[in-house]
Amino acid sequence: MADEELKQKVIDEMTKKSGSKTKFYFNDLAKIMDMKPRPAKKIITEMVTEEKLTFWSSGSTTMYSLPGVGKQTASEGESKED
Amino acid sequence: MAKFETPLLDQLETGPWPSFVSDLKRQAEHRAANQDKIEYQIPVDCVEDILGVVELSFKDKEVHWKHGGIVGVFGYGGGVIGRYCDQPEMFPGVAHFHTMRVNQPNGKYYTSDYLRQLCDLWDFRGSGVMNMHGSTGDIIFIGTRTEQLEEIFYEMTHKYDQDLGGSGSNLRTPSCCLGESRCEWSCYNTQEICYQLTHEYQDELHRPAFPYKFKFKFDGCPNGCVAAIARADMSFVGTWRDDIRIDQEAVQAYIGGEFPPNAGAHSGRDWGPFDIHKEVIDLCPTQCMWMDGKQLKIDDKECTRCMHCINVMPRALRPGKDTGCSILVGAKAPILDGAQMSSMLVPFIKAEEPYDDIKEVIENIWDWWMEEGKNRERLGELIKRQGFQRLLHMTGLKAIAQHVQEPRHNPYIFWYEDEVPGGFDRDVTEFRKHHKR
Amino acid sequence: MAFISSGYNPDKPMEDRITDIGNRYYGDFLPPVIKNNFGKWQWHEILEPGVLMHKAESGDEVYTVRVGGVRLMSVEHVRELCEIADTHCDGYVRFTTRNNIEFMVDSKDKVEPLKQDLSSRKHNEGSFKFPIGGTGAGVTNIIHTQGWIHCHTPATDASGTVKVVLDDLFDEFQKMRLPAQLRISMACCLNMCGAVHCSDIAILGYHRKPPMIDDEFLDNLCEIPLAIAACPTAAIRPKKKEITSEKDGSKKEVKSVEIKNERCMFCGNCYTMCPSLPLADAEGDGIVLMAGGKVSNRISAPKFSKVVVAFIPNETPRWPTLAKDVRKIVEAYSKDARKYERLGDWAERIGWEKFFEKCDLEFTHHLIDDFRDPAYYTWRQNTNFKFTDPYEYSAIKAE
Repeated sequence: MADEELKQKVIDEMTKKSGSKTKFYFNDLAKIMDMKPRPAKKIITEMVTEEKLTFWSSGSTTMYSLPGVGKQTASEGESKED
Repeated sequence: MAKFETPLLDQLETGPWPSFVSDLKRQAEHRAANQDKIEYQIPVDCVEDILGVVELSFKDKEVHWKHGGIVGVFGYGGGVIGRYCDQPEMFPGVAHFHTMRVNQPNGKYYTSDYLRQLCDLWDFRGSGVMNMHGSTGDIIFIGTRTEQLEEIFYEMTHKYDQDLGGSGSNLRTPSCCLGESRCEWSCYNTQEICYQLTHEYQDELHRPAFPYKFKFKFDGCPNGCVAAIARADMSFVGTWRDDIRIDQEAVQAYIGGEFPPNAGAHSGRDWGPFDIHKEVIDLCPTQCMWMDGKQLKIDDKECTRCMHCINVMPRALRPGKDTGCSILVGAKAPILDGAQMSSMLVPFIKAEEPYDDIKEVIENIWDWWMEEGKNRERLGELIKRQGFQRLLHMTGLKAIAQHVQEPRHNPYIFWYEDEVPGGFDRDVTEFRKHHKR
Repeated sequence: MAFISSGYNPDKPMEDRITDIGNRYYGDFLPPVIKNNFGKWQWHEILEPGVLMHKAESGDEVYTVRVGGVRLMSVEHVRELCEIADTHCDGYVRFTTRNNIEFMVDSKDKVEPLKQDLSSRKHNEGSFKFPIGGTGAGVTNIIHTQGWIHCHTPATDASGTVKVVLDDLFDEFQKMRLPAQLRISMACCLNMCGAVHCSDIAILGYHRKPPMIDDEFLDNLCEIPLAIAACPTAAIRPKKKEITSEKDGSKKEVKSVEIKNERCMFCGNCYTMCPSLPLADAEGDGIVLMAGGKVSNRISAPKFSKVVVAFIPNETPRWPTLAKDVRKIVEAYSKDARKYERLGDWAERIGWEKFFEKCDLEFTHHLIDDFRDPAYYTWRQNTNFKFTDPYEYSAIKAE
């Protein structure tokens, strides 16, 4: 599958689940693309640079989400900052 | 003058140990006075608010911070930890108060010029409160607002040639002891390998693709000053494989009381005259030392390089010259299944540039862990779950007796089919010809 | 407070961006005497507490004065130590893994003025800014975590507990009169972002109450699957609940979670993912004291610390019980252990039952391991115990 198709597949899958789940582990994304971690990382990194994905971190663990999606973004008040 | 009364914290200003409360108060006054007319980019009274919020915690005995998921600067998945105060109206100066991790120079040597540059940047764009250093080794900048994160990163990279450290499911900022720079026992250049691998693996450090955190630590010798064996997923501990170097004249000087034992570390108490038998030879865990007249002898083939004799008589004994390091893997703090120390994987490897063999071991381990590690599973837990044999298989190493403290206690060996002649497929009909039902 | 741009353009984050440059090269920060003798050091000696001399093959000497650093320091404090480095050390300084600060000079005559300068500097209320010590067979600096100053799951404060313990043990920081070095470490919750599990003495913050559940707001503030997945012991389950609104008193059904309290190990990982599950509690939170660990391979193998006091309350601001219990351990060890014997080696030699007797610490059921597989290996499978009270059937029989 071409890179662009894979990216779209990731976005589609994440959008589909966004009602209940908005943050994904790296391996969840690799599974969506059906790829091994190293080649998957190249595509995921591109998606971050293209602002199609953003990071969320617990400090110890990092997750990926679609930009602006997810409940905690709102609770952190960053969106309505003065 | 102070914004908040801090009667509880004030009680931590007495006593001889440096008071962080006094220091914070000084920083608060420094910002309020602003003699250098700095255009502070976050509230000028944020340090007053730190004192206020910590005083409140001392009163409530409960924390007043919340976690935030902000991870930092564009394109990086680590290096910043989001932090918010749960009493933002009371303490607006610290309502948003994120942490930044700054990758320290290896061995933690600094010039005052460089430290001042960091101070100026952090005073201007952050709280001016920092950790020298955090547990993993980074310089920690405590407290700034979201809109300053990119500005700080931009100035740091453009002006000071300095990058952030790791957090989250990344390679964490590697750290090392001071190594050969000022220690006669270091068996390899810990700073150089730490520096080179930090730079080699920048992508792993900034862009999370691991199941969880991953740490490298480099100890120059088995004394373990950076606690690699207890703290790092991959622990590199210096060692040697030839003979301990002995200066027999210096041995006699220790026996004669000319040199203080253990480099003078015990001089605060009268332990009596030095006794080489009681203090060195009898304490040797392998009992491989003895006196032959006036000569100290060591059966080096029996030595396990625990460092005790060398520590006690540093002017007489030195590690050998054929040095390298051991690689141990899998240490982690207790959560969840209990603490683990690193287990021996490679007893000896030369630690010399360009470190190709070491990189091969690292990358073999990452390939395995990235693919088969569960989310939030440390390497040590994966090794426990899949077995040490799997680790050996994935790193392409043969099992050797050095891998274990002792052989297994049970005979429940999971034989591979190809190890058993004829394999597992058998003909039950043929079997029944000789064994009735 | 006008915003001043660094040059960064938020509309084009990739423009002119510099990334992946790593840390600065250590070689650029080495004092000349260190650089000239790199890898060529021959031996060293601790001349007095806090002062080391390293001798190089070339004959060069470097004198190091070590002072206790508070890990938490302001830029004003750092600027002050820069000033000292400029005055005495040609502008060089280093930090140790245990948060000490080291000032290095290249000849002996520079040591005394440096020491005098360092010792003369005090904070307003009288504490030392740069106490000299932390070498050899003594207590060195306590490494620690953030605590109430910056973390979201601490069960106690870090800087405060460290301050009171080091005030109390200050003599041991400045004198080298213990049987061996004594490493104390502090982590403010069981996640141990500062690993303390292999320390001679470990001060560990510990929560004792499961999180509260902010039912009405939980579904608005957090993603329930993430909170559930965060729990290491699978104690959290989704649950629909009928609640009375705090805002308007109306009854309504909300999506929330329930927690199996008996499974909770009080780690706070769920609170990290979900701010509606706070667990801090004035009475529940406090300190666990551990002892007997080490990381060095010297004489005996590295070992884990063991829990010796199950709970000490948060007695702010000076934690007197904590300081007293730590002192009891240090004094018993100092009196009883042999030269070169680390605390854990001493406890193993005399037996842990003797450790509790000599340290005057009570042994309670909390100190017997019951957590998963490794527990069995910590029970006694031999008859080689020592008699310390109580031990006889009639004395240990429950009333």
